[in-house]
Amino acid sequence: MMPAMVWMGYLIDALDDFTVIQSPFTMEGIRVFGADSDATTLAVAAVLHRLQRETINSISVPEGVDGLSIALATGVAMHTEEMEDEAEWDVLMSEEATLVLARHGADVHLTAMDVEIEVDAGFYHAMERAWDQELSVTHVSQGAYVSRAQYEEAGTSRLSLTGQLAEDGPVWPPRFNHLVDSTSVPERTLQRTGTIQTWTTLSAAGAPSEFSLRAPLLGGISTVLLRLDDGPNGVFLTVDDEDPVFAMDSRMELVFRRLYAQEGFIRYGLKARSVSG
Amino acid sequence: MVDVAVVGAGQTKYGNHPSGLKAMWAEAASKAFSSIDGDFKPEMIDEAFIGTIAFGGAQLGNTAALLTEHSGMDGIAVRRVENACASSGFALRDAWMAIKSGQADVVVAGGIEKMNDLTPERKRYWLGVSGDTEWERLAGLTFPGTYALMARRYFHEHDSTHDDLVHVSVKNHHHGSMNPQAHIQKEVSFEKAAGGFMVADPLTLYDCCPTSDGASCVVLAADHVARRMTDTPVWIRGSGAASDRLALHDRPSITQLKATQTASTKAYAMAGLDATQIDLAEVHDCFTIAEVIATEDLGFAPRGAGGQFAREQQGSVNQGNTTINASGGLKSKGHPLGATGTGQVVEVFKQLRHEVGTSRQVRDAETALTHNVGGSGATCAVHVFGRER
Repeated sequence: MMPAMVWMGYLIDALDDFTVIQSPFTMEGIRVFGADSDATTLAVAAVLHRLQRETINSISVPEGVDGLSIALATGVAMHTEEMEDEAEWDVLMSEEATLVLARHGADVHLTAMDVEIEVDAGFYHAMERAWDQELSVTHVSQGAYVSRAQYEEAGTSRLSLTGQLAEDGPVWPPRFNHLVDSTSVPERTLQRTGTIQTWTTLSAAGAPSEFSLRAPLLGGISTVLLRLDDGPNGVFLTVDDEDPVFAMDSRMELVFRRLYAQEGFIRYGLKARSVSG
Repeated sequence: MVDVAVVGAGQTKYGNHPSGLKAMWAEAASKAFSSIDGDFKPEMIDEAFIGTIAFGGAQLGNTAALLTEHSGMDGIAVRRVENACASSGFALRDAWMAIKSGQADVVVAGGIEKMNDLTPERKRYWLGVSGDTEWERLAGLTFPGTYALMARRYFHEHDSTHDDLVHVSVKNHHHGSMNPQAHIQKEVSFEKAAGGFMVADPLTLYDCCPTSDGASCVVLAADHVARRMTDTPVWIRGSGAASDRLALHDRPSITQLKATQTASTKAYAMAGLDATQIDLAEVHDCFTIAEVIATEDLGFAPRGAGGQFAREQQGSVNQGNTTINASGGLKSKGHPLGATGTGQVVEVFKQLRHEVGTSRQVRDAETALTHNVGGSGATCAVHVFGRER
């Protein structure tokens, strides 16, 4: 086993032609996804890691991975069957909670990483059942209603922190006043880090109804108001499978995770996790 | 320009009301009409403005027409006013403006909400519909969470702790214990309020208002007809309203409400009064931290001293310069969302006519203020009242 590097809450091993990324959690010897993670969230983390050192022009993803959300979160185009060229990179899934982002045609081999955090089987299966129930197409609005169209319109700002550049600094979430006076507003992607200005943990009984299936399993849900390093403030859920350090001015990073599901599709978003330093 | 008076006011008891919307509204209207001791018939009403969120979705469209049809106001121009929890505060302002404009002489403002006939799931959905859905709600926030964020930040910025919020809760329950219209008519000890079930850390159950059924109705009249309707009108001396960014994270500060500051500045200026001249105030304490912040935004305490104001019990009835929430406030009297704003006026109407009849009557009350907030401060209506014009 090789010592694991942690990236956005996942284990990662980046080589020249491919990146292996996997969940740190195991159950009875099998690697499993965390409570708000899936193949799509792993893929986003892998792409963002790769983008630190090179440009990616297009990716193909297998069935079951949300290509649109990956594109919105990373800015990388999804490869479609109509395109003449092959995808530059492919997302490849293994049976366990492990995924590979590989240059097309690369010779890939999986690496074993040395972090294994055992999760309680009862908790894991209860969360899986809750997500399945939430994902049912018959699970309709008893929660905040964010339609697919609304989700996609705000996709780049929600998933990749794309803001607007105003005279006195970045603005995020973006505003629409420029449509009134027909001016153009330059965009800017903000850093995914910030400091805690305040926080709360809602009891399971007080959590919004769209989280009502999972909040009791999690012991409530926590929200932080962060001042992003680029200036604007935002509110974010914390990741489900870690215990954040709640203190004024403590630092957090934003990672791509599942928020909730409704009417058959998952709304993804950025959640906060503690970072040191 | 014409002056506007409140000549009648009434409400249902707040709480788990056995009646539906139509009967609740009819009861509130009936009480408002019967409180008018001079010349009045419902046919004299020119317009009606009714505030409601239409909680639960049972009658989202044409709510006002349905209600006035059942309260002797057939055929008049009516509309539903919606500004979240400030709906009837704005209904009052709209009614006041209708008379001020000269287009109407007698106008009804009111509000209503039926909240306790829903399943818990549906109730929790509707309790969160007035925030910024796309950003706040997807971050797990309903209003307990939003106000919890404000409370923790307030403690960080100022010399204040959760104990100050407990003092607000104890005071308002004390006032509400003497109010037969209140949802929760019982005292709460400091120890019990301090140790309540945690709803949204640091806010406990005793920091949160109840969800109430209720309706409230007030009758406004132009000065040239008001004197025929009553010998003891309560005059609206100032009206101010404002809005702010809907989402908490879009505001420069989350420990003050700019909409309250702007609305109250306008209302005070119109009334020719300042905060030191207000004898009682019904403020929007949907959560105890909201009252602490409101006492500052309305000028009853300096910035950062709202916690101390509560700690020293300056808002207790007949203890300090201004009694805060003599009715028990939203915390104890209850919070039937759309009914709350005009429900505050019902209290002020009785207080300024010296008709309360218990020890929560503010002695020699001459002036009063109502403060009605929508959501976490996106909308606010403030009104200043007096026994004199």
